[in-house]
Amino acid sequence: MALLELKGVKKIYDQGKIEVPALRGIDLRVGQGEFTTIFGPSGSGKTTLLNLVGCLDKPTAGTIIFDGRKLDDLDKKELAMIRRHSIGFIFQSYNLIPVLTAYENVEFALRLVNKYNPRETRDRVLDILSAVGLEGLAHRRPNELSGGQKQRVAIARALVKEPKLVLADEPSANLDSKTSEEVLAVMAKMNKELGTTFIFSTHDPLVMAYARRLIEIRDGLIAKDQRREQDAVLN
Amino acid sequence: MLFLTRLAFKNLARHRNRTVITSMIIALAVFIYIFYDSLISGMTVMSYGTLIDYETGHLQVVNRAYWAEEEKLPLENLIPMDEALQREIRNGRGFVAASPELNFQARLNNGWDELPVMGKGIDPSAFKGVFALEDQLVEGAMFAPGEYRVVLGKRLADLMDLGLGDYVTLQVKDKNKGLNTIEAEIAGLVHTSNPNVNQNIVYVPLDLAQAALAVEGRVSKVIVRLAEQDWAAKVAVELEQNLKRHNPDLAVYPWSQLEAFAFLGAARLEKQVILAIILLIAAIAIINTVILAALERMSEIGMMKAQGLQNKEVVYTFVMESTGIGLLGGAIGVLMGSILVWFLAKYGIDFDALVGMEMAAFGLPVLGKIYGVWNPKGMITVFAFGVLISFLASIWPAYWAADKDPVQTIYHR
Ligand SMILES: Nc1ncnc2c1ncn2[C@@H]1O[C@H](COP(=O)(O)OP(=O)(O)O)[C@@H](O)[C@H]1O
Ligand SMILES: [Mg+2]
Repeated sequence: MALLELKGVKKIYDQGKIEVPALRGIDLRVGQGEFTTIFGPSGSGKTTLLNLVGCLDKPTAGTIIFDGRKLDDLDKKELAMIRRHSIGFIFQSYNLIPVLTAYENVEFALRLVNKYNPRETRDRVLDILSAVGLEGLAHRRPNELSGGQKQRVAIARALVKEPKLVLADEPSANLDSKTSEEVLAVMAKMNKELGTTFIFSTHDPLVMAYARRLIEIRDGLIAKDQRREQDAVLN
Repeated sequence: MLFLTRLAFKNLARHRNRTVITSMIIALAVFIYIFYDSLISGMTVMSYGTLIDYETGHLQVVNRAYWAEEEKLPLENLIPMDEALQREIRNGRGFVAASPELNFQARLNNGWDELPVMGKGIDPSAFKGVFALEDQLVEGAMFAPGEYRVVLGKRLADLMDLGLGDYVTLQVKDKNKGLNTIEAEIAGLVHTSNPNVNQNIVYVPLDLAQAALAVEGRVSKVIVRLAEQDWAAKVAVELEQNLKRHNPDLAVYPWSQLEAFAFLGAARLEKQVILAIILLIAAIAIINTVILAALERMSEIGMMKAQGLQNKEVVYTFVMESTGIGLLGGAIGVLMGSILVWFLAKYGIDFDALVGMEMAAFGLPVLGKIYGVWNPKGMITVFAFGVLISFLASIWPAYWAADKDPVQTIYHR
């Protein structure tokens, strides 16, 4: 069974008199452990799609089934609980809490899940921080970290609770190409090691090179859906 | 929730200036209230004291019918002073002293001018047990019974161009509406913190007054001093009960029921108004702070919601943060207030010197220094209110912030 299934999903933004159709009928299945890129020009609907999948927004029409649950019928609180336990977000602008250290930012996500005792919490946070290459930087605040390091914290924060799905909206857009590659490599590694399902949007060819499945989206419709046996970079 | 509380307190350190300014506003409000409360209480205590010591005593034994017309100072419905009545009063609980007095209307004449005054016939030795007037003699001494001598306020004497040893005439109407006069020498001049005593009253030997008014053996009221002023209300009831056997027309009024004390209630009302204004200021400061903080943390709040934080949890962090500001401000305010009250209680504040005029001239029965009064209950109350208002005032703006759509705040749409 697919982890995620979209059937005829439409999203129309109602801007007063003008209606902006952002998604015009998306049918999509994403299986467990996939590493998928959604690419397409700016304004094609990538962010909108990720927000719908991430339970941050509701479609105008169509159905989304995540982990066997139909999202249509869920209320705000239930959606928040799905996000809390099953979905990790990575955004272009990192969105770390500035008063918390790298460690605390990651810990925050785990505390919300409220599943582990203090010892386990500590071990898990430190483990994931070293897995994303932030060993020794745990006690730095976001303003003491570089852009690439901040995005690594965001990745660790998204992954620490071992969510079923990680959504990354243009995760490398604010990073130079070398740092982008490092960050992508970290995500690909996590996908391999933990089997976490990743969906990330981009319009950066370098990022696309890491993906096993490439979905092109244009004007709110899927234009191409292409799988490869091996990704171009890591094999 | 503990980690949300920790986050809230960490956020306090985020904009240190803003936290400090907002808590200082609350601290200042708390401080002003404590200062005002201490001073008003000090004035009240002093006013009670001066009214009791120079004018009202603790209890007044009086004929009910007289009481109803008291401001006219009638010569009807007086109390015959017999041994049985005196014994009854003496046997009351907490009794210290009793002073009979005969109050009457008079015109004070210095030979060329006259002023309406209130004459007060007193027995100096009994009077001394109840009132502290003799301590306030600025010139001369108290008269003895039967002497043709009087005591009056220094201010009244100055007004009439009179001095110690001068002769005055009190023109009175006796019980039978006949005109009569009391000719007397000024024996002493007093200056008290009670403006009424300073400007309106002429003290006369009781026997002289009774003779001049043709009311021998009778008085307007008997003023009683008790060991404790707080007992007055209770003892009044008991004594009135006991006096019924003797004379059913007699009533006993405690000082706390007298009209002269009514103005002190007004000060208490004012205190509520000040409290309300202070709390309003604190609420505005808090609301402003929460809105500023929320605006600057919009995308952060969005991210927290994306991570699965519920609205009420976002509200909780803001409310905790504001409560922290309230606690901080309240504590600083109480600390500063305590230091000031300590000074006020120890050294007092000399309003007369500050204003350059006697407070008594404004009709406040206060003389010289006012000493602050400790009111721990008031301090706890205003502290609790400060914290409570900080808590309550933040709820609405916190909900406003928490309810924002996370997508819009993350993407700044
Ligand atoms: N909140 C919104 N209100 C109105 N229109 C929106 C909103 N969000 C996105 N859009 C529009 O929907 C379309 C798709 O946007 P988006 O999903 O952000 O595309 P992408 O992420 O691929 O750049 C664009 O035309 C955009 O202007
Ligand atoms: Mg986008």
